[in-house]
Amino acid sequence: MPRNGLSLAPHARQQLAAVAQLRGRIFANSLRTFRGRLELASHIFVGLAFVAGGLGGAVGLGGAAWFVVSQRNAEWIGGLLWPVFLFWQLFPLMATAFTQNVESSNLLRFPLSFRSYFLIRLAYGSLDPATAVASLWLLGINIGIGVARPALFPWAMIVLLTFALVNLVLARMLFAWLERWLAQRRTRELMGILFFLFILSFQLIGPLIAVYEHRSIPETRILGQELSSAQRPLPPGLAAAAIAGAVPSQPGSHIVTASVVPFLLLGCYGIAFLWLLNFRLRAEYRGENLSESVGRKALIGGLPAVRPGWNLPGLPGPVVAVFEKELRYLSRSGPMLFTLIVPLFMLAVFRSSGKNEGLFGHAPQLTFPLGAAYSLLLLTNLSYNNFGADGNGTQFFFASPVRFGQIMLGKNLAHTAVFGVEVLLVWLGTCLLYRPPSIGVTLATLAGILFVLPIDLAAGNLFSIYSPSRIEAGVFGRQRASLTTVLASFAIRGALFSGGAVLLWLSRGYRNSWMELLIFLLPAAFAIAAYVFALNRVDGMALRHRENLMSSLGRRQ
Amino acid sequence: MVSPTISTEHLTRRFGDLVAVEDVNLRVAPGQFFGFLGPNGAGKSTTIKMLTGLLAPTAGRIQILGLDLVSNMVEVKRQIGVVPEGMALFGRLTGSEYLNFVGRMYGLDRETASKRTAELLDFMQLTDQPKALVTDYSHGMQKKLALAAAVIHGPRVLFLDEPFEGVDAIAAGTLKAMLQRMIGRGATVFLTSHVLEIVERLCTHVGIIHRGRLVAQGSLEELRAGVEARSAGLPGAVTGASPGEKLTLEQIFLLIVGGSRSDGQELSWLG
Repeated sequence: MPRNGLSLAPHARQQLAAVAQLRGRIFANSLRTFRGRLELASHIFVGLAFVAGGLGGAVGLGGAAWFVVSQRNAEWIGGLLWPVFLFWQLFPLMATAFTQNVESSNLLRFPLSFRSYFLIRLAYGSLDPATAVASLWLLGINIGIGVARPALFPWAMIVLLTFALVNLVLARMLFAWLERWLAQRRTRELMGILFFLFILSFQLIGPLIAVYEHRSIPETRILGQELSSAQRPLPPGLAAAAIAGAVPSQPGSHIVTASVVPFLLLGCYGIAFLWLLNFRLRAEYRGENLSESVGRKALIGGLPAVRPGWNLPGLPGPVVAVFEKELRYLSRSGPMLFTLIVPLFMLAVFRSSGKNEGLFGHAPQLTFPLGAAYSLLLLTNLSYNNFGADGNGTQFFFASPVRFGQIMLGKNLAHTAVFGVEVLLVWLGTCLLYRPPSIGVTLATLAGILFVLPIDLAAGNLFSIYSPSRIEAGVFGRQRASLTTVLASFAIRGALFSGGAVLLWLSRGYRNSWMELLIFLLPAAFAIAAYVFALNRVDGMALRHRENLMSSLGRRQ
Repeated sequence: MVSPTISTEHLTRRFGDLVAVEDVNLRVAPGQFFGFLGPNGAGKSTTIKMLTGLLAPTAGRIQILGLDLVSNMVEVKRQIGVVPEGMALFGRLTGSEYLNFVGRMYGLDRETASKRTAELLDFMQLTDQPKALVTDYSHGMQKKLALAAAVIHGPRVLFLDEPFEGVDAIAAGTLKAMLQRMIGRGATVFLTSHVLEIVERLCTHVGIIHRGRLVAQGSLEELRAGVEARSAGLPGAVTGASPGEKLTLEQIFLLIVGGSRSDGQELSWLG
């Protein structure tokens, strides 16, 4: 019975509506700033790409579904459902820039029933781009099946709808568990490394295909059969079996066994995922304690031993202090450390992706320059969002008696040092896995880096000031620069690499290593001058944008 | 006449149409323990941010230690220490790494920075977990670390935004002892706090800001005398003081900002 207007069990629908309204309000308020509008434009741009991918995929998959069903090979639908399944589950994890997630602590302070909390967490997933695109693809498959066999359309719709629900629940379940592991620093580091290795393992698909494409047809067929039977008990395999089993022409099959049983097993998956999600959310709802606050130990007499900071001769103390701080931060970020091995890993992958020297077999002299360029791309979240990991600490930079140019210089030197290590690893990897690059290529690449890096760092400094984004290690999807920055960095790198390629092409005409070097060194000198010019103007820019910087990096979103 | 350590002239800050701070003229003399008070949203944090260079004023002038803040930003910052609203810590450093870092940023050489770091960690009782990262510290430990960072270079002026917020009695005792030492050594402390008892016990002078305007400024006795003169003849129920009893800072504050609420006012659903 309501007392004083307060319902003892607040209506779930009202609360869902309130959360939806809140999201709408947050979105509308974000448009008040230029940065917010720019971010919206980036989202629209990316959204159009998703729409194109969704519609194109739906047409393609629909056509493929029509073809396999018309050809009486309905069991091959599994081959269409697997890409949908993998995209739905993996895309949100790999491309966190496009992922929205809710922080549970923001919701749990309200008098939500568990049911409402559960529904809200589930509802967030239904608005993901991955969900929208994958749903379009499933619709395309359903239509394709319906055109090929109209009688199969309703059953296929029921199966695919169930398949979609299983995917939706699985994605939310994975997110909820990932968040649990991200909530504590130590498990977070471990998770980061495991996740990173998992993502890397995808790069092995290419070499595997390369290995099997040279096998004989019977061998490949056996492998195909093994894979086919291995995937059958999994959700895409079950959904495909449920649809294929309903095709009456399947000889010797009983419709209940062939169609309803796989469908029920698919439902069992859904229930199992729901149970796991329920288990996790219930723990959150009850208010689990994931505090990592340090405990008090017995005090030991005397002053603690404190090691002095680093010393880099020739550089001012504050620059060295920032340099040391940046590298200490990096050393405590497991995933970031692991990115150091990515270029080497990719070299190994390309090496094993074919005969002779793999992908670079046709142009081995490009291995080192392309590896170095790839290494630069890996630094985007660092160099284009310099203050992202500093959060509230950014205030200190404004309160300290150090010019912003020096702070940026310290950060840029740290990122250059990381990049230098990467380039060295790539060079060693090229020597070991392929052949040592010629002196001309090595020198031209290093000179090319001298041209690209200063401009890239200068651009990164500007974006770090104009479009900062707080990185929150404990919240999934908040470990990256803003979408605007990511897109802009791609455009800038595209222009720089194109410029580098043109210079390389021009320099090749001379067939003289030293001439190649000179052709790169001249623009490199201009690039360094441009970097110094931009660095000298960073103070004014940072001061003008200090409020935006501190508010963007200080607040939790 | 001694020139003030902190002085502002017509200090104003607008956020769009909102005037957060308007025409504030502050005077804080050397060696003063100055409490800056005001209700929520009165403009305390905005003022302290402007005084420390974290926020640009829309109009007006700020002088710290006789130097104009805008034209001598770096020189002023070298001589002040700040504990801002968000504490400005770097979570992924250990306490000693953070203090070392701050010391170097304020121009201390490596040896001095590490020596002072050791002393500060010991004084603030932060030596329990030398390898723990700042992000894993409790709120009170973070406050102590932020204060330690603010004093590592021996500032002549210390700005503290709510230093006692969320701090337990033991940590508050440590912070107070540290601040008293600073005052004893001739430093000036400028703090904002909602805990009026602490301000009354620690501060020699008080400024009260209300709706962006500085409505009172002076020593506690001066403020008390002013309020008593204004409220002479009013019944004790209005001032909150019994006859012959001195007004507390809380009573002075409420009388100045008009924060009393009539007993008849109530919420419709609470009856």
